[in-house]
Amino acid sequence: MRALAERFRRASATQVMALSVLSLMAVFFAVPIVWAVFEAIGGTALHWLLNSAFYSTAGAAIAVALCIPAGYGLATHDFPGRRAVLIVTILVMLIPPNALVLPLFLEAHAAHLLTSPLAVILPYGLYPFGVYLAYLYFNTGRFELLLQTARMDGCSEWHVFKRIVLPLSLPVSALIAFLNFVASWTNFFLPWVMYWSFDTTSRYPLALGIALQLDTTKGASFYGALIQLHTASSPSYIALLLLVTCAPVLIVFALAQRWIGSSQLQGVFR
Amino acid sequence: MRPRKSGYLFIAPYVVLLVVAGIYPMAYALHLALTSLTAHFSGARNFIKSWQDPEFLPAFEHIGIFLAIWLTALVVLVVGLSLILHSLDRRISAAFRFVFYLPAALAGSASVMLWLFMLEPGVSPWTFVLHWLGYGTLGDSIAERNLPVIFAVIAFWSGAGSWIVVMYGALATIPHGVLEAARLDGAGPWRTATRIKLPLIKRWVAYMLIGAFAAGTQLFAEPQLISEATGGILNQTWSPNQLAYFLSFQLDNFNYAAAIAVDLLAIALISAAVVLLRTGLFRVSD
Repeated sequence: MRALAERFRRASATQVMALSVLSLMAVFFAVPIVWAVFEAIGGTALHWLLNSAFYSTAGAAIAVALCIPAGYGLATHDFPGRRAVLIVTILVMLIPPNALVLPLFLEAHAAHLLTSPLAVILPYGLYPFGVYLAYLYFNTGRFELLLQTARMDGCSEWHVFKRIVLPLSLPVSALIAFLNFVASWTNFFLPWVMYWSFDTTSRYPLALGIALQLDTTKGASFYGALIQLHTASSPSYIALLLLVTCAPVLIVFALAQRWIGSSQLQGVFR
Repeated sequence: MRPRKSGYLFIAPYVVLLVVAGIYPMAYALHLALTSLTAHFSGARNFIKSWQDPEFLPAFEHIGIFLAIWLTALVVLVVGLSLILHSLDRRISAAFRFVFYLPAALAGSASVMLWLFMLEPGVSPWTFVLHWLGYGTLGDSIAERNLPVIFAVIAFWSGAGSWIVVMYGALATIPHGVLEAARLDGAGPWRTATRIKLPLIKRWVAYMLIGAFAAGTQLFAEPQLISEATGGILNQTWSPNQLAYFLSFQLDNFNYAAAIAVDLLAIALISAAVVLLRTGLFRVSD
């Protein structure tokens, strides 16, 4: 962020003008489409969609802000306990996220955080896989050499991080943000235990809102046999919600497939 | 000469969250599992009680059947499809990988919802298949004996694409020279795939199997939503996670629920340790 701010400060007035004109025009081009989507979804579901966007974005922001320094520290610093942190990181990363949901629920219950947005955002922000990705990204001989040169030139630790590590971390930050965003966006169990039983539909992410479309009151007929699927709204409206759910992930994946796909994942493994 | 102390500053924020949202909740669940409702230490009593629960064994049996189907499908189809993709032109295989990955974009609940429509003969595009199988109503197609297969299909539909991306990535690391040498020695595509490529990606297949096993034991959204859709006719404690959830909400017995959560955590941790120690895929030192 600092590096970005720096770049903005250096940008000339004409560049700022150009950017504002472009942004204004982007608003003009995008608003009608956004309106159409919002209008089609309508009231409550729109609220869920914005909740989903808020939880996932906040989670991804925390994940990137913690993963980059942590991965960098683990890859380029020698300190007692480094190996232990790395091992715990890999173990937690290999545990399926669902395994942590009930323990997190018990903790949130004890801390009176149930139904609070923090109850989902903080767990979303914990992303050991991102730390491991950043660790691998910074754990190369070339990078080590670059750091040594900078330190010999008298760069302070903080300066090295701000001027070299942060700008170079952009690709891995984008990857961490995307993978974390998708994971939170599609998560169901965690928001379910935090919000479902407490009549807090205003806190629902879209994944829970969709589940709410299952009309449980009509599901069971008197004969105990289910003749057809009963839903709270029409199948076509539910289909629209499903399309909206997968749109953001698909757009990013289609744009960045080459880059997110195999070549990036290869680096994860030895 | 690598800096030392400042390393703590860089990892501190992450370690704090790792404790708050990772290690502490696990420890707290273990603590609850070892205490009675009246907050006294009760040893393994909650565990023994939960193992004797009439719902406990059936839940693990259900998951076992589901896992057997799902893991077989993963090994055969993901490995097979990845090998086929790897022998294709790069651009064609990229298009197919994208299509296979598509369902991963749907939230857990969204994919279940979608599959409820797929299984409802009234709206499904697969009605002819459902009729051919003799299913006239939704009740027929989601009958209890079909559930493990249905969950395996949903899990495979939404998860296989990501594994294909990983497996294809593993295949892409095979040096070109190795494949070229095999070709010169007269190995056809089948021989190359089974004798050269397959042994080289063995570790990734093991990782996928253990990872999918651990994730599969955690099944929740699918059985829970099918149970909702049927207005609770269907078992609300079909999977172990559902049972733990049911115990903590309906019965308000957190200690009892914590014991099951710890059982599931133990399975997950052991699987994670096996992946870390035995597959050698993850490195912890330079």
